[in-house]
Amino acid sequence: MSIDLILNGLQQGLVLAIIACAIMIPFRFLDFADLTAEGAYPLGGAICAVCMSCCGLHPIAAIFLGVVGAGVMGVGTSLIHLKFNVNTMLAGIILSTMGYSVNLRIMGRPNISLFECNGLFGPSIHANILVLSSILLLLIIPLALFLRTDFGLRFRAVGLNQNFAKKQGISLDKNTMLGMFVAGGLSGLAGSLMVQLQSYMDVGMGVGILIHGLASLMIGEAILGKSTLDRQLAAPVLGALLYQQIQGIALSLGLAPSDLKFFTGSIVLIVIALQRKTGRNA
Amino acid sequence: MLYMKNITKSFNGAFEPVLKGIDLSIKAGEFCVIIGANGSGKSTLMKVISGEHAADSGEIRRNGGVAQVVQDVNKGTIPAMTLLENIALSCNQKPHFSFYKRHKSDAVRKIADLNIGLEQYVDHPLGTLSGGQRQMIATLMAINSGGKILLLDEHTSALDPKMQVKLMEYTVKSIDEQRLTTLMITHNMNDAVKYGDRLLMLNSGRIVEDIRGRDKVNLDARGLVALFHKYEDQNLLNGGGK
Repeated sequence: MSIDLILNGLQQGLVLAIIACAIMIPFRFLDFADLTAEGAYPLGGAICAVCMSCCGLHPIAAIFLGVVGAGVMGVGTSLIHLKFNVNTMLAGIILSTMGYSVNLRIMGRPNISLFECNGLFGPSIHANILVLSSILLLLIIPLALFLRTDFGLRFRAVGLNQNFAKKQGISLDKNTMLGMFVAGGLSGLAGSLMVQLQSYMDVGMGVGILIHGLASLMIGEAILGKSTLDRQLAAPVLGALLYQQIQGIALSLGLAPSDLKFFTGSIVLIVIALQRKTGRNA
Repeated sequence: MLYMKNITKSFNGAFEPVLKGIDLSIKAGEFCVIIGANGSGKSTLMKVISGEHAADSGEIRRNGGVAQVVQDVNKGTIPAMTLLENIALSCNQKPHFSFYKRHKSDAVRKIADLNIGLEQYVDHPLGTLSGGQRQMIATLMAINSGGKILLLDEHTSALDPKMQVKLMEYTVKSIDEQRLTTLMITHNMNDAVKYGDRLLMLNSGRIVEDIRGRDKVNLDARGLVALFHKYEDQNLLNGGGK
């Protein structure tokens, strides 16, 4: 396995870590089994790509709009669940499916090239890793600090015991919508960064991203556990970095890229089986 | 103070209402004990007072917030969170963007008041404590939540006798200090007679006995048991209490 493959895996892993964090927030802090990442990720990418290629926006402004658009999608999922009592997963699937058409409308065509645009990333993989690491730290540190405040404590209580939270006067709806906006926004951020990283946006970009993120989260939790807040927050990051390296190793050993999704699913099943065997629930 | 006038409550599919015209007025600082057979409506009455269930008809007025301790400690706490986090959540102060750790010294002091040596576990998950210890913390949380009305629904029933005594002593001391209006459901007639200022007996959704003052002073646990059985026997004669 070459150093280039490791660095490339690291670069991809840092983007995947953001998606894994986006998946972790509803799953672990809100007890909200959510699939919106599958739709929010390409939506963020589509908005970012169009803003850069058609409107000539600055890459950071384009990312910002991508984050807001995907965050609104997250809020949409929570509203469908809260107002119409639709199962959380079904709400996510419905919006993600609708999102495909929305993305095509936004883009106007199935793919957009950004090779002519100046993005955040350049040809130096080291510089790209530095930029992505900084972005990840700028997300994780404020999140860790927020979760240690009164508001963060109340936010976490929503997912751990809804009846208790309600009795303490904590608004379940507001906290769920806030969490889903942040989760959707993080997926959109990952999509926007990926679009700029590969200088290309394809409407089918998000297919299977949820399972990659979920696999990352589970690998991280299997290693670090989730007994403390710090471990819970570090789990998606460590998991994503390891997961990308595992994929790199598999590819370097001759696995066909078309078999990657089967490989990913197998990893998730193995992690679940190991967690059940060792008594650590998924 | 708590005031209820002609409260009724029924559930879908039930033969008849669970509560049938409850009239009740409790003074601030009064400690009422509710006793009655299973299915007499005690827990439903508590849920109506706490606001968990809406009454079908009648009027209810509460002078102050309601805090509750239930038999199942997992419902009134978050076992995955630390003692500090649970206590910080229950203190019912306006939330801020400041770290909840600022409540630590206050939480340690409150836990020390329990007098069971748990203050050193303030940063441990609540779920790692024994059932009795967790119920002590749940009671502490309810008492310090700022609510003026305290509802205790068989909160000592799952504990061993020694722990029951400790929890009741702590509960009564705190109630006196904070002048909380208290309603406690119990099947322990000794506790009912010992701690209650007033005894309310529920039977088939009605308050059938309201014992206070001199009558309460003259009543012992044996007398209360006899009264309890009198209504049970009546229910049997009337066809199962319905």
